[in-house]
Amino acid sequence: MTAPIDTNTHSDGAVTARAVRVRRWAASNRFVGVLVLLIVQIIIFSLTQPRFFSVPNIRVLLTSVAILWMIALGLTFVMLTGGFDLSLGAMIGLAGFIFVGFFVNLGVPAPFAIVLTVLSGALLGGGINGFLIGKVGMPFLVVTIGTLSLFQGTTYLVSGTQTISLTSSLLDAIGFNNALGVPITVWFMIGTLIVSQFVLRRTYFGRDVYAVGGNAKAARLAGINVTRTVIAAYAIAGGLAALSGVLEASQISAASPTGDPTIIFAATAAVLLGGTVLGGGEGGVAGTVVGVLFLGVLQNGLSISGLASAWQQVFSGIIVILAVLFHQLQHKGTSFLHPLSE
Amino acid sequence: MPTVDSFLHVTGLIKSFGGVHALRGAELEVRRGEVHSLVGANGSGKSTLLSILSGQIPPDAGTITLDGVGMRLGNPARALVAGIATVTQETTLVPALSVAENILLGRRKVRKWSGIDWRATRARAEQVLKPLGVDFSCDDPVSELRPDQQQMVEIARAISMDARVLLLDEPTSALTDEEVDSLFSLIRMLQQRGMTTIFVSHRMSELFEITDRITILRDGCTVETGPIEDYDTDRIIDRMVGRTLAPVVRSRISVGRDSTPALRVQGLSVPGHVRDATLEVHTGETVGLAGLAGSGRTELLDAIFGVRARIGGAVELAGVELSSRRVSQAIARGLAYVPGDRKSRGLVLNMTLSENLTMAATSGLPRFRTLPRSRERAQAVSAMREYGIVASSPDSSCAMLSGGNQQKVVLAKWMCTSPRVVLMDEPTRGIDVGAKREIYRLLAEARASGAGILVSSSETEELMLLCDRILVMFRGKIVASLDRAQATDALLARYSMGQL
Repeated sequence: MTAPIDTNTHSDGAVTARAVRVRRWAASNRFVGVLVLLIVQIIIFSLTQPRFFSVPNIRVLLTSVAILWMIALGLTFVMLTGGFDLSLGAMIGLAGFIFVGFFVNLGVPAPFAIVLTVLSGALLGGGINGFLIGKVGMPFLVVTIGTLSLFQGTTYLVSGTQTISLTSSLLDAIGFNNALGVPITVWFMIGTLIVSQFVLRRTYFGRDVYAVGGNAKAARLAGINVTRTVIAAYAIAGGLAALSGVLEASQISAASPTGDPTIIFAATAAVLLGGTVLGGGEGGVAGTVVGVLFLGVLQNGLSISGLASAWQQVFSGIIVILAVLFHQLQHKGTSFLHPLSE
Repeated sequence: MPTVDSFLHVTGLIKSFGGVHALRGAELEVRRGEVHSLVGANGSGKSTLLSILSGQIPPDAGTITLDGVGMRLGNPARALVAGIATVTQETTLVPALSVAENILLGRRKVRKWSGIDWRATRARAEQVLKPLGVDFSCDDPVSELRPDQQQMVEIARAISMDARVLLLDEPTSALTDEEVDSLFSLIRMLQQRGMTTIFVSHRMSELFEITDRITILRDGCTVETGPIEDYDTDRIIDRMVGRTLAPVVRSRISVGRDSTPALRVQGLSVPGHVRDATLEVHTGETVGLAGLAGSGRTELLDAIFGVRARIGGAVELAGVELSSRRVSQAIARGLAYVPGDRKSRGLVLNMTLSENLTMAATSGLPRFRTLPRSRERAQAVSAMREYGIVASSPDSSCAMLSGGNQQKVVLAKWMCTSPRVVLMDEPTRGIDVGAKREIYRLLAEARASGAGILVSSSETEELMLLCDRILVMFRGKIVASLDRAQATDALLARYSMGQL
């Protein structure tokens, strides 16, 4: 009894091998269905709304999802380990005032203030959420409901519930300028996506994230430091949320104490649409950004259609539910039609 | 043919699970009002027989008659209605509710307009409890009761449902000696009132204390039934293990006894599971760990590896002490652990074969390093060949593999770490004969390459085949150490049941 190792991949023609590879890619990337829906959506809006497929509108569309993008990327790391983080929305407002603290109060130059703000977000996410969940073993919902309130309250305290306007040429450039015809905010989005994808797919740490979410007991038995991996995932989410706070401040040239407490719902929808599963171990950031773009295009398309905002909410709710339903059926479909067994 | 005094009669019971025959025509004949003990080694089909009696699983063939009436099988509710109530080692009580509520769980007395009739509920519970002479009240919350008292509540619940046959599945395994005494006096009291009891225990002394008649199972068949007076410990054990095993011839490999042992465990305890375990495994030696389920074998291995908290004691690998609870350190020093439950502890099922194969060997590397993916795939391909893992490619998900192949992946994963000592728990549980033989071959190779092996198994045959020395655990203690030449089925069974 010897192993029948693929010896026919070379001889049997490249076409079938490629077909097999494509099918395997489609099955292992659960966001393919949503990608199709995204494209369908773009086609429909392009045909019905002449303004939709225009450079200015695409710029607006992309920058409008920047914050959701960052939050959803971070949430993907956390959800891949099998956890969840409700506090990310509150981190946005807090990060604005951490930036104010470094930049205005301490006089730190803007680039360093941004880096320090992101590091502070990572420290808070990893040090409080990650520590309590990964080390102490508390349930993630309880911990992050607590830190949601903690971060929000702290923001109100340090801000005195006042919006503080910021004048920084760097911040303005991030918020409003283009580089190579592309908004700098979008470069940030591309950069974080590439780094996240690289970290998750090409490093030992990324594999640990999947292993911990897939089976924490087996990961621990194989010598993987589960605690450290969980703490790191919450730190990354915190850092990315803080970065989105900086982006928000750059877009309104101010630090606002309200943050965006409901963005976590949109982010969760994006992550789930993108094929990352509750419970962890499966999915990834590539799917998440497809989910983010799906929500962004929907929002943008409906609003340039001139629909009343109440109707926009009703429609986007219905479409998100239908998309998830389609996604579920499609996923069951692939695994049923193309079982990848031996 | 039911005899005149047969009350519960089981005939020709057959049950197989995916090609493994658990029962091959087992018989059981219990008389009205007796305490009937059911004994058998691991894998004798005892648990399967109990599950069928309580209606949890349907048999493939066979009949059960109770008091002359044929029973519909495979339905727990019907078994209860027919009068067979089961009390298992783990209670099914709701801890936060009172004794009375638990006794009448799901059948609470309800008044038409005002919800639960507490007075009627209590009255009914009292009525059941009073004759039992228990030392707790109807209103006590179950969470505050001792384990034996909880067992009594379960029994009271069974009585309140007009049970005619009580199935007690290892009711004493969690009880202290005094608690066992109080449970036994309850059983005797019920017997005087006409209750029929089927009793299962692994403790020999208890069998002789409580039983009227005994049925012995082996390999899914009933060996014999008779009054307990006709038996002594030796006769029961002889019947349980049979004399069917052919001696296995195997070449001996010299064991480096004089040098520092590859693994030394000194005075290790795990609260509630392992008491003061001390053992040594030498280079090239295979040491077995025998014992019944729940004797603490898995917990001992967990604690040695560092995934379970231990109190006191030391673990030394080649003379150097391991700090507790540092798994990556243990792996780096050459300790490997093939856990018993490969699906929940051995593999990350939704990851690929190559990812799982390299997981343990790379666990000590810096985590920000990039994955050498092509090298890993190449390693995985050669491991697949070397260990005979049948899969379409190294990128196959481990969830798609058969049990035997999964077990080979777990084993290969650990052999990639070049271990000094391999800990193994139930290395061949639930895999077919072919894969089993492969696993044995791989173990022999590991041993020949100088690894020390500590293997825990509930299959005596397997231990006698693999091991140079066998340690026997009973209720958390290592009670015996037998050389290969000394070890017999009967001796192992005897020590496993606490007969020293």
